[in-house]
Amino acid sequence: MKLLSRIASVVRNLFRKEHVEDQLDAEVKAYVGLLADEKIAAGMSEREARRAAHAEFGGVEQVKQTVRDRRAGAGLELVWQDVRFGSRQLWRNPGFTATVIVTLALSIGANTAIFSLVNALMLKSLPYAQPERMGAIYQRVTGPGASEQRTGIDGEKWELLRDNAPALISAVSGGTSGVNLQSGSRVQYVHNARISLHYLDVLAIHPLFGRNFSPEEDRPHGPKAAILSYGLWHGVFNSDRNILGQSILLKGEAYSVVGILPENVATPVNAELYTALQPSREGEGGGTNFEAIVRLRDGASWQDADAEINRAWSARAQRFSKNSPGSRVTYYSLPLQKAQTATLRPQVLALMLAAGFILLIACANLAGLTLVRMIRRAPEVATRMALGASPWQIQKQFWIENLLLALVGGTVGVGVGVVALRGLLMLLPEHFLPVASVPLDGRVLGFTLMLSLLTSALFGMLPALTARRVDLRSSVSSRAVAGAGSLRLRQALIAGELALTVVLLAASGLLIRTLVHLETLAPGFNPNGLMTAKASLDDVRFHDPANFRNLLDASTAALQQIPGVQSAAVALTLPYERAINDEVTLSDGKESGQEGITDVIYVTPGFFETLQMPVMAGRAFTDADGSNTQHVAVVNRAFARKFYGGASPVGRYVNKDTLIVGEVADVSVSSGMYEGAPLMSEQAIYVPAAQVNAHFLELIHIWVQPDWVVRTSGPIEGLTESMQKAMATADPNLPFSGFSSMKEILAQTLATQRIEVALLGAMAALALLLSVVGISSLVANLVAQRTREIGIRMALGSTVRQAMVHIGAPAVRASALGLLLGLAACAGALRVMRNLLYGVGVYDGPTLLTVVLVLAAVTGIATALPTLRIAGIDPAKTLRDE
Amino acid sequence: MSTKQTTLLQGTLDLLILKSLGAGDLHGLGVSRRIEQITHGAFLVKPGSLFPALHRLEEAGWLSSSWGESENRRRAKFYRLTKAGRAQLDVETEEWTRIALAMTNALAAS
Repeated sequence: MKLLSRIASVVRNLFRKEHVEDQLDAEVKAYVGLLADEKIAAGMSEREARRAAHAEFGGVEQVKQTVRDRRAGAGLELVWQDVRFGSRQLWRNPGFTATVIVTLALSIGANTAIFSLVNALMLKSLPYAQPERMGAIYQRVTGPGASEQRTGIDGEKWELLRDNAPALISAVSGGTSGVNLQSGSRVQYVHNARISLHYLDVLAIHPLFGRNFSPEEDRPHGPKAAILSYGLWHGVFNSDRNILGQSILLKGEAYSVVGILPENVATPVNAELYTALQPSREGEGGGTNFEAIVRLRDGASWQDADAEINRAWSARAQRFSKNSPGSRVTYYSLPLQKAQTATLRPQVLALMLAAGFILLIACANLAGLTLVRMIRRAPEVATRMALGASPWQIQKQFWIENLLLALVGGTVGVGVGVVALRGLLMLLPEHFLPVASVPLDGRVLGFTLMLSLLTSALFGMLPALTARRVDLRSSVSSRAVAGAGSLRLRQALIAGELALTVVLLAASGLLIRTLVHLETLAPGFNPNGLMTAKASLDDVRFHDPANFRNLLDASTAALQQIPGVQSAAVALTLPYERAINDEVTLSDGKESGQEGITDVIYVTPGFFETLQMPVMAGRAFTDADGSNTQHVAVVNRAFARKFYGGASPVGRYVNKDTLIVGEVADVSVSSGMYEGAPLMSEQAIYVPAAQVNAHFLELIHIWVQPDWVVRTSGPIEGLTESMQKAMATADPNLPFSGFSSMKEILAQTLATQRIEVALLGAMAALALLLSVVGISSLVANLVAQRTREIGIRMALGSTVRQAMVHIGAPAVRASALGLLLGLAACAGALRVMRNLLYGVGVYDGPTLLTVVLVLAAVTGIATALPTLRIAGIDPAKTLRDE
Repeated sequence: MSTKQTTLLQGTLDLLILKSLGAGDLHGLGVSRRIEQITHGAFLVKPGSLFPALHRLEEAGWLSSSWGESENRRRAKFYRLTKAGRAQLDVETEEWTRIALAMTNALAAS
């Protein structure tokens, strides 16, 4: 009851103030009147009575004020008054207010954008039911070559897992690749993912229409079935319900549509349609090509699951230990979310750290600005304290102003963050992030709010502490308070800012050098003037090697007819792409019997010429290398070095009867065999497309679609249409998908590095800007504060230059200290970047030197410019100004 | 009674106001006179203390107010006890009696 009554009172007092005041006034007047009535009744005259009544009552206004002070909601009203006063103050100082808000908006915006990423990748749950019950299987190797990673599994391991782990619902996928979908007369290149029977069950996704695959459909040579994504069903089949149960022509064969997925459903493989994997121990299952995901059944625990997995694969683990003595392998499960974001996590966290640095730098700037403003307002503060304000009231006023600034800055910061995030997402290639979208949800907004409050506390705290030590007498009388202590504080802030800026600049410098290194690696071929396109040969029409050969011959011939095209070729994979690797056995000489892994690429005869890859020894392929002649191969220099110790490989035999007839230069590929640089040279063996056997053909095109590549003498109008038409003459039902130049393929492979550079570079630039602003404002303030002192000095004989040096000295000293601190910090901080750098060491001399020089120059200018105003100081005038 | 003494006995003032309204509605001056009367002149409550107390008690929900006419047909604000106020009066009376008894015993001891 009491609480309700109080709330009602607060509301009434705040919103019906006039009414309440009128009532109080009337009540007081009535009291005085009644008092006078008493006295009149006692015999006084009316005038006497009134005067006596007023005297007895006391100060009317004071009584009213005591009522107002004790009223419910009085505290709130005081706060509201402070807010209005603070807003007026801020409005009257547009320069200060604008600087603070812009600084806050930029730094908070950067943090909001990065945190949205962190939120989407790591904090938000995956968009599946009970995502904490979904996991990936990791492999831990102890002993020499220790590692912990998620590896692919082969058919044997899959069957063992499926049959011997009742605590889990298990499923595997074989990957996503391009296939030809024919609907009516139109053939399209669409992305198909091959999934096992219970894949959708692990994800807890139920088809919107139709059903999941049946066990028969997931058995080798079982009936061919497909499940469509909502997007494909809508786009290609116009949301026609009748497509369910019908056949579609996929990969050249009839597939029956058994299900359609709901809208806005995301799967880890992100495909437009799904076909049954039909896993076995042969073919695809012969190698570690399946990726497993699992879901815990109800009532089971992850310990149960891990125990079952290790038991199921114990025979394999023993085999591993036998083959690699001293090593042991165990298996464990990790939450799926962690597994999917494993590679991105360190980079996103590094970005958060950088964004945090920027916020600290911004706070340092703002603390400095606020400190100066506080000093300038010292007379006002002193006057208020003389009039009876307590230090707490003064502080409350400043806190409220800081809070206002922080809230406005934070709100604008959200806007900045949204824009920045949108820009960032546009930079990223499709499907780069393992999440469907990066939303600005409640958690992000809450984070931004908290950050705003924190920064207001940070930059408000320091100056607010100095408000206590205001000396009344000197503040009221003198216009400028020396504030030596505040100078030291501001110098410390500048030094801190610069130290952080040094670290950020050095980090981006190293990343830039890494990117430059990767982009300027000797390509091993001539990447200019090339246009490439993919077509899907995962198609029953091309399982027959004869058809395959005819297609390649006809298409390359047709492409070469296009005016301006110098040469054309086909290759399974191109430089900068990830190549397929396979085992190879050396068959002669002292290395006979030696086994190893190598990239395998089939090419048409014109390939090396089209790419202008120099043939260093022997010869390239010719049309004479056909299906019934000697099996030949061409290897690259890395192959020769790895297997033959650098000796010429020409004339040697591999894989029993394949003769090496030539050696070519190394090209950079997207690393697939080793976890290393994003671009490196790997040992490779090239074989003529005409000599590829049927088994290999069928298998290889499940995973990778070959590239057609043409070299032109110059840019050609409508090249892509001409290429499409040329392909149509060879096979009208084989569409090209996506044309790219080699530069675009390179950009795609180096996407991560480019984004790192863009983001960290932007933040380093922002940090530099903030630091420069901080230093200039410090010096400008010093000039303004010490104008009298400078005037006196100049009157006593100092030159303008000497005055400039004297005033600029504190800033220069602070900057120098900051640079040194920053370099020292680099020694420790940059070490965490080791795994991100290629071709440049962590303590790279030139980078650090450049950073120091740039900062020295920039801070020098920032210090010098404001001091130029000293030249305009007239000593006589300043001395007269009192 | 000086202002200083009144603030020390704020809780006492609340109790006195509630008690004075126990018999019937009164306006502000009436409350002051009644307190004077029932304490046999010991406590003279000044407007500076009375007004804040009355408003506070009203906001707490123990008093309600309405405008009416005094004996001389002057418009004035009258206060009355609410049901909660009556209950509060009983509670505080009991509390005060207990304290007074305890103090008396304490001071009587040697």
